[in-house]
Amino acid sequence: MRILRNVFKRKLRAFLTIFGITIGVFALVVMGAMAEKITLLVDGGTRWVSDKVVISAGDPMGGVSNSPLSVDTIQQVEKVKGVARASASVSVTLEEKQSGVQMGMPNLITGTDLRGDDYESFKVTYADGRALKEGELGKAVVGANLVDKLDAEVGKDITLRGERFEVVGILEKTLTAPDNEVTVPISDAQLFFHKTLPPVVRAQVDPEKLATGLTAYVKKGYEPDSVAKEIDKEVDGITAMGPKAFKEQVTNSTQIFTSIIFGIALISLLVGGLSVINTMTMSVAERTREIGIRKAIGASDGNVVRQFLAESGTIGLIGGLVGLAIGALFVFLANSAGNEAGTTLFLITSWLAVGSVAFALLLGIASGVYPSWHAARLNPVEALRYE
Amino acid sequence: MRTIIEARNLDKRYKLGKNNFVHALRGASLEIAEGEMVAIMGPSGSGKSTVMHILGCLDRPDKGEVLLSGRRVDNVRSRELNRIRSKEIGFIFQGFNLVTTLTALENVALAAEYAGTSRKEALRKAKEALLKVGLGNRANHLPTELSGGQQQRVAIARALVNSPAVIMGDEPTGDLDTATSDEIVEMMREINVTTGTTFILVTHNPEVAGACDRTIHMRDGLVEKNVTNDIVMEALA
Repeated sequence: MRILRNVFKRKLRAFLTIFGITIGVFALVVMGAMAEKITLLVDGGTRWVSDKVVISAGDPMGGVSNSPLSVDTIQQVEKVKGVARASASVSVTLEEKQSGVQMGMPNLITGTDLRGDDYESFKVTYADGRALKEGELGKAVVGANLVDKLDAEVGKDITLRGERFEVVGILEKTLTAPDNEVTVPISDAQLFFHKTLPPVVRAQVDPEKLATGLTAYVKKGYEPDSVAKEIDKEVDGITAMGPKAFKEQVTNSTQIFTSIIFGIALISLLVGGLSVINTMTMSVAERTREIGIRKAIGASDGNVVRQFLAESGTIGLIGGLVGLAIGALFVFLANSAGNEAGTTLFLITSWLAVGSVAFALLLGIASGVYPSWHAARLNPVEALRYE
Repeated sequence: MRTIIEARNLDKRYKLGKNNFVHALRGASLEIAEGEMVAIMGPSGSGKSTVMHILGCLDRPDKGEVLLSGRRVDNVRSRELNRIRSKEIGFIFQGFNLVTTLTALENVALAAEYAGTSRKEALRKAKEALLKVGLGNRANHLPTELSGGQQQRVAIARALVNSPAVIMGDEPTGDLDTATSDEIVEMMREINVTTGTTFILVTHNPEVAGACDRTIHMRDGLVEKNVTNDIVMEALA
């Protein structure tokens, strides 16, 4: 309480200084939440691919490859030493025409042939309903982020690219790609993909042969990255990526982005720190006489330093808490708005929340070091004479 | 009577500019007995405030010695000086010098906390000290809510809270009207008599000096005269 009274002795100056820290922490929380969401998606993708080989026709970017593969390639892949099973998948975007720029994970319609189900280690759970069954058509399982967008409910129909599908299952949040996918039987997905091909190509291709990706499940005792190399060597016309290569590719593209957004946030926070230094320096100058009194009645240099560090730390802490609160509110509102489009861009983790407030506190304390050192060095006699 | 403070040949210069010095003390010596109430008087620039700062361990002499209860304090480390200031010496200033963001109780408790007392115990001692000076009902008031006389009484309580051996007052009645000034001097005298605390008061006011046992006159950085109270009163008459 005494510290708060000292901090708010000059209310306007205190509020402005705290506001500087608040803006910095707000930027750190929001940008950090964006980075955390990206990291989570990358981690999810990395976890999914950790024990398998991803095969595509073009240069994969971890998303939709526009180049088709033939499902017959499965037989060639399964002949490679170390491959237990291969399965085909087809993905197209949820909307036929993408409006504007989509941030975050794209919304997809995905179909798999269920051949790899017994080998799949990444298990999803269902908030409602069930998984797709082999052989059924016109059914869909909806990812958690698309429920509102599609107005999905188990037993009700939804429209995907103009076609009606019955919802049989709704997934629990996975915090990664499946949240933004509608899974349909592969035959239905193949038909969607077939329609996206140029007419000339379409006429010559059997939709049932189409795939946009294959997944090779690796036998126990075999290294997925080594198996990927073997597949690349033995099967023509494809690119096989093991978990290491996948992780490298995805991490490279996200690392730069993450560094930039954290860098921007940290710079704005440091600017806030400079304002704390300024405020505390002015405070020490104005309270020179008070410091002289305190020293005269027995305050040690340590007492003086601790007092001013406590005050600057308090400024940092208050700025941090307010910045976190405003940042959290912004994230909540942005995610709520994004939910309608099936996109949540932000994720505030507990380490981000605690870390940003802790950083603001430490920044406040660090900003008080010079002013408090200066205060402690004041000669009490001269300080007492100060007008 | 036991000597509580002794100053021997104190010399002190203050640097004002590149080649500009003020020779505040030029070999001043004095002795103060335990339980005395002594006034130090002199014209401006006589060195009386400087000698009080040195006796009060706020400053060090360039030459000379200061003994407090028989031990030298002019050559000890800063940390020890601090300890002496917090536990053995109390200060009362002309401008009261209370911390404006703290209540009367907190101002008094602050001195106890600096002496190493826990916060809880410091508040208890502060309350007792405020009762002694008649301000028990003003404990939670800020200095801005107190009159000049009340503020000075809080300052006296603050000076007393650690039961110091010596209380130094630098023009303690300088900012007070006559009636309040008399009240404060009477309070200090009562404390001096009842607790045996030694008081050293720097003052321009002959009536304040008149309330003391002895007056030390300084001029040009030296002790000029050392007179007992009755001689001062005769001189005034």
